[in-house]
Amino acid sequence: MYFQKKRCIAMLLAGGQGSRLKVLTENTAKPAVPFGGKYRIIDFPLSNCVNSGIDTVGILTQYQPLELNEYIGNGQPWGLNKTHCCAQVLPPYARSKKSEWYKGTANAIYQNIPFIERFDPEYVLILSGDHIYKMDYAAMINFHAASGADCTIAVRDVPLEEASRFGIMNTNPDGTIYEFEEKPKQPKSTNASMGIYVFNWKVLREFLMADEADPNSENDFGKNIIPNLLNSGHKLVAYTFEGYWKDVGTIDSLWEANMELLGKDPAFNIRGGPNSTIYARNNAMPSSYIDEEAKTVNCFVAEGSEVYGTVRHSILSTGCYVGKNAIVEDSVVMPGTVIESDAIVRHAILGENSKVCRGAVVGGAFGPNEKKKISVTSKGAVVEANAVLQPGDML
Amino acid sequence: MTVLGLIFANSENPLGELTNKRTKSAVPFGGRYRQIDFTLSNFSNSGIRRIGIISRSNYQSLMAHIGSGEEWDLELQEGGLEFISPYSMGNYGVSGNVEALNFALDYLKYGGNEDYIIMAGANVLCNINLAKVLQAHIASGKDITIVTKSGLADGVKKQELAVKLDEDGQVIDMAVDYPAPADYAISTGIYVVSKDILRHRVQEAAARSLYNFHRDIVLRLYQAGQMTVNAYQFGGVALYNTSVAEYFQNSMAILDKDVRHDLFTGNHPIFTKVRDRVPSYYGENCEIDNCTVADGCFLEGKVRHSVLFRQVSVAEGAEVEDCVIMNDTVVGENCYLKNVILDKNVTVRPGTKLIGTPSCPIVIKRGDTV
Repeated sequence: MYFQKKRCIAMLLAGGQGSRLKVLTENTAKPAVPFGGKYRIIDFPLSNCVNSGIDTVGILTQYQPLELNEYIGNGQPWGLNKTHCCAQVLPPYARSKKSEWYKGTANAIYQNIPFIERFDPEYVLILSGDHIYKMDYAAMINFHAASGADCTIAVRDVPLEEASRFGIMNTNPDGTIYEFEEKPKQPKSTNASMGIYVFNWKVLREFLMADEADPNSENDFGKNIIPNLLNSGHKLVAYTFEGYWKDVGTIDSLWEANMELLGKDPAFNIRGGPNSTIYARNNAMPSSYIDEEAKTVNCFVAEGSEVYGTVRHSILSTGCYVGKNAIVEDSVVMPGTVIESDAIVRHAILGENSKVCRGAVVGGAFGPNEKKKISVTSKGAVVEANAVLQPGDML
Repeated sequence: MTVLGLIFANSENPLGELTNKRTKSAVPFGGRYRQIDFTLSNFSNSGIRRIGIISRSNYQSLMAHIGSGEEWDLELQEGGLEFISPYSMGNYGVSGNVEALNFALDYLKYGGNEDYIIMAGANVLCNINLAKVLQAHIASGKDITIVTKSGLADGVKKQELAVKLDEDGQVIDMAVDYPAPADYAISTGIYVVSKDILRHRVQEAAARSLYNFHRDIVLRLYQAGQMTVNAYQFGGVALYNTSVAEYFQNSMAILDKDVRHDLFTGNHPIFTKVRDRVPSYYGENCEIDNCTVADGCFLEGKVRHSVLFRQVSVAEGAEVEDCVIMNDTVVGENCYLKNVILDKNVTVRPGTKLIGTPSCPIVIKRGDTV
């Protein structure tokens, strides 16, 4: 088999459990969690790759990979199923000498050195499968190449009071990184790492081998590889990204990110921008139907849905049903979910194929300054007729 | 039993402006589809893996739409889709179905070893299990099976082929190009016949300069007692788009729940070319009543009883009623549109008023600005 040499390939870390998404990731890997009506979280980094001209993507899976593997398939929806373009799912596998799970993010890449070597790349782009954003990786890779660094880390400016929640890159005035601090109590700067790295492959390879040989290492990029690179005097630079970026690792942030798609001038414009289509696996669904008595206000409705009730300030995904006199407000309704007549859903995330039966009430209304408690139903859950799922409760 | 599918992508009864620059089977329908999607999906869902598409003219947009056939699971190592166009048939124009079939004989002969042929047009839209039709055909022991639809003949409209059935569903009369009365069942354009019979009869007819499949093969041989005919009575929804008025009426028919569910819901989806559009956005002040809406729309005005295709935008203050609006069309602020078909990529300038009638809707050509 003939492999084309690639300037840069991407390795997408998609094995995380996403335990903070609770019932939504009980049976699904976080990157496969639905987002924005017809997408899954992984569509964003995958589409960014395609839109940035990166045509070889290794996808590292480990936790609950069934649905994710099925979703990615041969990569066709993203055009990554050609002779020299691929989306290759890379689960951990048994070897002749020792077999093990991916011990950490760095170990996951280490175990797939043979995959990367086949393409003999100059650079490797490390991505994670749990962020919502549109980014031109090509610009970052060119920046990296021009800087002469061994590693470039994408950062974004966060408010000082939030900086202690992130991995912070402390930089010199020329953009070089002199220190990395994971969740510092007293942050020295506000450059938060986005978990997006460009490495010179030869250097990364060397450090992955050394990291693997160190029995005390946690085999993690943030905890081990980056500090080791810094300590050994390699040049690391920060690449500042100014667009929308959201970690959707928690129920609240997943809900918020969905809400930020709404409005005439939304925080995250999923429609806009040249060469920034987000691709997704499409099901053969007909158009949506909006009934005479339905009200659809400031919402996204994906294909295959039928709306007879009210949907306001919400995301209604593919193949959903909202019955007569039902009210859905400030909610994220994932694919295939049924909300029967007279049911009320407010401030909720309804998992795929879940069902809110006639007259049931999910979640509640909140004042403008009140902390919103998001109610969540898991995949396939049923809220019985006239039952109540309290604000913040999960089913 | 292996089956070859043949689709007649052209047909008589062009749909006015809508078929100006595209063959009829490529006419958009139902918000996301082209007419041929229904036939292709029926074939694909019924396990038919080799399909010839006979197209005479204006097939550029049809070929662009179908591509490799991937979306219909018809991009295959063996079989798949093949275009049988006049050029590859060694002729520059084909006047009748028989002539087209005669030219397609090579394809029938060399392509594969199928026992049966299922032929279909692309202007009758239905969701039908053709595997069942094939079984019924074989069980009937007849030479040919016509899939028929009862209850649509009205004694006024000319039907391409109509049959009268007795209580047991046996064909007792047949007529071609005839304004059949209400007790006749009309053909859906779907026929099942063995490859040997079809080849034999087509060669025989072509040699005598007989060119109309319905009149010169089915009717003539039926009357001469040389061909036994079985009718398969299809119980589902079948929409016949033989005129612009019918196209318009049938487009509105999918707003009816029963019609919509019959065509689109269930285990046999209608496939179409994928476009990665975002979900449709409904603005703060929009009023959408009794509409089907495809993906990628941006709606801020009022839309009633209409079919909106992909990526349609309706600006604030616009009122749209009883309209069919195709892909990428923009309706400006404060427009008023009633009984209008807007083809793809139309721009309706702010403040424009267009009012047609149900039997004579206004049609705006693809790409026009009004």
